[in-house]
Amino acid sequence: MAMCAVLRCVSANFSAALPLLTRPAHFWTCQNSRRPNMLRTLYTTSSRLSGALKFTDKHEWVRVEGTVGTVGISNFAQEALGDVVYCGLPEVGTKLEQMEEFGALESVKAASELYSPLTGEVTEINTNLADNPGLVNKACYEDGWLIKMTIEKPAELDELMDEAAYEKFIKSLDS
Amino acid sequence: MSVGKAAVKVVRLGRMSYRSALKLQQQHIKQHLDSCSSSPNTLLLCEHEPVYTIGIRQAPYPPEEEQRLKALGADFFRSNRGGLITFHGPGQLVCYPVLNLACFKKSVRWYVCELERMVIKMCSQFGIEASTSPDTGVWVGNNKICAIGIHCRRYITSHGLALNCNTDMSWFDNIVPCGIVGKGVTSLSRELGRDVPTEEAIPKLLEAFTEQFNCTLTYN
Repeated sequence: MAMCAVLRCVSANFSAALPLLTRPAHFWTCQNSRRPNMLRTLYTTSSRLSGALKFTDKHEWVRVEGTVGTVGISNFAQEALGDVVYCGLPEVGTKLEQMEEFGALESVKAASELYSPLTGEVTEINTNLADNPGLVNKACYEDGWLIKMTIEKPAELDELMDEAAYEKFIKSLDS
Repeated sequence: MSVGKAAVKVVRLGRMSYRSALKLQQQHIKQHLDSCSSSPNTLLLCEHEPVYTIGIRQAPYPPEEEQRLKALGADFFRSNRGGLITFHGPGQLVCYPVLNLACFKKSVRWYVCELERMVIKMCSQFGIEASTSPDTGVWVGNNKICAIGIHCRRYITSHGLALNCNTDMSWFDNIVPCGIVGKGVTSLSRELGRDVPTEEAIPKLLEAFTEQFNCTLTYN
């Protein structure tokens, strides 16, 4: 999967510390199935470099690869939703503003809104989710991605939380 | 963090069209999203005129299906809740909690579970043994006594549950309720062999609600 190739390339080029990597880098394979969805990312000096996940306070994440952002929901969100049975996604070409609702996930008889982390245009939707919506639960950071979109305002990425800030944020929700 | 019990205002609407109740829910949702301090948690209780409603999964119910059901004398509505097709009508107690889950627990999965547990508790007050199953809702054996389908936006809930009290169950013959083939529907009246109107169910439902959600109820 393209994502794996990008990360392997990035890890070879950066000597940044990897404080959260308690497992070898080959964790980022396409074979994630039953293992818990624990986030592993590379710390970079800029959030605009590919590979780093940024998070909204509504639990969507965006991963930048060049000029395209891939969007999904976090492990915290998929656990709080329960088994996803349906993904209501927008059409390719839909223009979204940051924080605009772009769809809904249905789980356990509940439909929850999805919010766009960035301003841009939808370029691709994950058609695998039509037959396999459970991918959102099983692999929320990989095969369970929701949409890809252009990044009209790259500065918006700086407003989002990096992984450490997001981990802190979800801890504060429990109190 | 909410210290002490959350307060929930009970609003009894009596007979109200599905469309009007939806509008009212939208107003309450807006109040939640607009207010900066205390969240006006509300529990709307009502009965609808005969109506079939569906959720965000629209594909199984094309316009022909809509026409077919309308020809039977019911209204038809496409909503933004989860769940497939169900029926609402006289004799069915419909409960729409418009809550801010931040006052309780920020998990939709937990919320649906609690609604199910609450209805089971209420059924036991009637001497009915109800349970959950892999299919959402509250069941007496293979028959669903209460349907559940909710929507959540920024932790504000809407839609809710529909408990059959003395509903005319023949309306359900026209559909596959909640898309679940091979299972049936039932009501409090059917289970108890006597007429149980919604008025009788309301106080028991409210009691179960305060217990399950650990909240206090206020009335206007």
